[in-house]
Amino acid sequence: MRGKVACIVSVCCMVLLLGFGTAFAQQEIKIGVLIPLSGSMAVIGENLQMAHDFAAKEINDAGGVKSLKGAKIKLIYADTRGDPKVGMSEAERLIVREGVSAIMGAFQSSVSYTSTEVAEKYQVPYLVPNSLMDQITERGFKYTFRVERKGSYWAKDQIDFILDMGKKTGVQAKTIGVVYENTDMGQSIAKAIRKLAPEHGLKVVLDEGYPPKTADMTPVVLKMKRANPDVVILNSYISDAILLMRTIADQRVNTMALLGSSSGYSDPSFVKEVGKLAEYFFDLTEWTTDLKHSPLVAQKNAAFKKWTKDHRDFNGGAAFCYASTYILYDALEKAASTDPKRIRDALATVKITKGPAMIIPWTPIEFDAEGQARGARMLVIQYRDGQRKSVWPANIASTAPVWPMPKWEERK
Amino acid sequence: MTGIIEAAVNGILMGGLYGLIAVSLSLIFGVAKIVNFAHGALLMVALFTVYWILELLKVDPYLSALLAGCFLFFFGYYFQRLFIEPILKREKDTAALTVILLTSGLMLIIENSALLLFGADYRTVRTAYTGKVWEVAGLYIMQPRLIGFVLSVVLIRLLEFYLRRTNFGRAIRATSQDREAARLMGIDDYRVYKVTFGIGTVILGFAAAFLTPFYFIHPAVGDLFVGKSFVIVVLGGLGSITGAFLGGLIVGLIESVGAQFINSAMVESLIFIVFIACLVIRPMGLLGKERE
Repeated sequence: MRGKVACIVSVCCMVLLLGFGTAFAQQEIKIGVLIPLSGSMAVIGENLQMAHDFAAKEINDAGGVKSLKGAKIKLIYADTRGDPKVGMSEAERLIVREGVSAIMGAFQSSVSYTSTEVAEKYQVPYLVPNSLMDQITERGFKYTFRVERKGSYWAKDQIDFILDMGKKTGVQAKTIGVVYENTDMGQSIAKAIRKLAPEHGLKVVLDEGYPPKTADMTPVVLKMKRANPDVVILNSYISDAILLMRTIADQRVNTMALLGSSSGYSDPSFVKEVGKLAEYFFDLTEWTTDLKHSPLVAQKNAAFKKWTKDHRDFNGGAAFCYASTYILYDALEKAASTDPKRIRDALATVKITKGPAMIIPWTPIEFDAEGQARGARMLVIQYRDGQRKSVWPANIASTAPVWPMPKWEERK
Repeated sequence: MTGIIEAAVNGILMGGLYGLIAVSLSLIFGVAKIVNFAHGALLMVALFTVYWILELLKVDPYLSALLAGCFLFFFGYYFQRLFIEPILKREKDTAALTVILLTSGLMLIIENSALLLFGADYRTVRTAYTGKVWEVAGLYIMQPRLIGFVLSVVLIRLLEFYLRRTNFGRAIRATSQDREAARLMGIDDYRVYKVTFGIGTVILGFAAAFLTPFYFIHPAVGDLFVGKSFVIVVLGGLGSITGAFLGGLIVGLIESVGAQFINSAMVESLIFIVFIACLVIRPMGLLGKERE
């Protein structure tokens, strides 16, 4: 009798254990995130990491992926060190060793470009929140999806903005300069501007790519001063953005406008470190905290601000990482599977019109056959009293732009 | 034309700082024959030392160089004592190679510890000199750069005086020329190495203090300078103090003036073209001495 009881109990235990075992296996969906977490770009990477973490926390707190019995999303971070080669090997490690179901990343165009190749080879879906190099989605890849607008469209938006401001204020720009870090991101935008600007009657008088790890920006700024363009379009990561801004002010280079291309210029540490010098600086960006298209923008930003230790706002990059995590979540719900191929198919057919991903300023969120987000659009902000205020396009702007910028000598 | 003059002035001013950083590397390289890949990391340590002195004590940035120098001397001294000396003693024949691996490893450790301790934030210090500009005949000259340059020249004169006129300075030079012979003359070569390393880091402390008013501080900031420093040291001639400083000025000038004529992405290759040309014509570097 006793033996029988023991037997039943042990069988029950085994069943329970097995049950737990399988439940445990289903409790987590591994998602790889490739971002730079060391080196000079670590500060940007950490910011994006917080956004991913915040989204994952919200999703998991709300009960995880319901179609997978409430499985939790587990983000596994891999440090790219900002290096395309490291990006590739880390992507391989995430897929082969960690067995992730999908990947997000890798911030820098050059790293996304190489690491998406690895994901394509292993047939694992790769969602790119931030990189803008055109070619990322132009190689016929089936597993690469991009939320960000393409680099060549950025240039178009920047030119449109410059022309629009000229029409509105009567102070028209005739000449234009492009200054960029000579990597994939910078070259993408510069190439497009070189082609587009003359078509719209703007003469390119300065076209300057500086190498990564430039210690001194003065030579570039002196060249800018001599070329004397009406508007300068800048494209930098963070340390170069800080150095450029300070040197432009030191050398008193006066232009109608300085127009950034997000990235370094939208990073919270940019305005923190250059302080007053950032005033009146324009920045083409994907996102800002004062957008009015959805109440979610203010709500989610406030929640993020409360959750982060240093109470920071979302910047464009972080908002897109946050939204991308939700886009992937939506695909997971639809796929009801951790199989990368199924998730890929679900991503290809998402059409998101509600939920936190809607902090992105367009609806619906869906991808075309190339994997590029349809309808992605941009806006321009201007730094005013240290705040990023949306100024263009007029229908979603919160503030009237100051064009041209006041001269350095006239500022306090 | 003013643009070119302006660029030349800036090139010389910035080149002086490159030179100062290279002088420190050259001293360590020339005397102890240590290829110090951790040089950038040491510069970063120096920058953070200056940063914390400025933040906590609120003194003048140029005064902070002296305080930072005291600390950094011992940092450099014990860096050599604890990490490099044991290898030099144990592996007499293969030490050169092992030291390269060691200093590369130490660089990673130091940089990542800084990342862990101070975070990835970019820091800047707002000093009384930050953003101040002198206007001379239509040229804008940035105050902190000019002051840094002048002090660098003074510092290098002092260093040369020390090496030529003092007993220990002579010992350093003797060890640099022939370690075995110096040893036979009763010079404690390991002590010379330690002190030389200490002096090298003190110079980095000064360079850090000159940079701080117009630069940023970040755990990876050393990367921006270290590659250039190696080029400058070899260009100027191994172990030559004046040569390293001159090399710095040349690289600064090429970088600044060259960028006015060609795309700055190409300027880096221009530096290397000049570098290779120089090595072909004078393999020992500009002011290096020929060795048998």
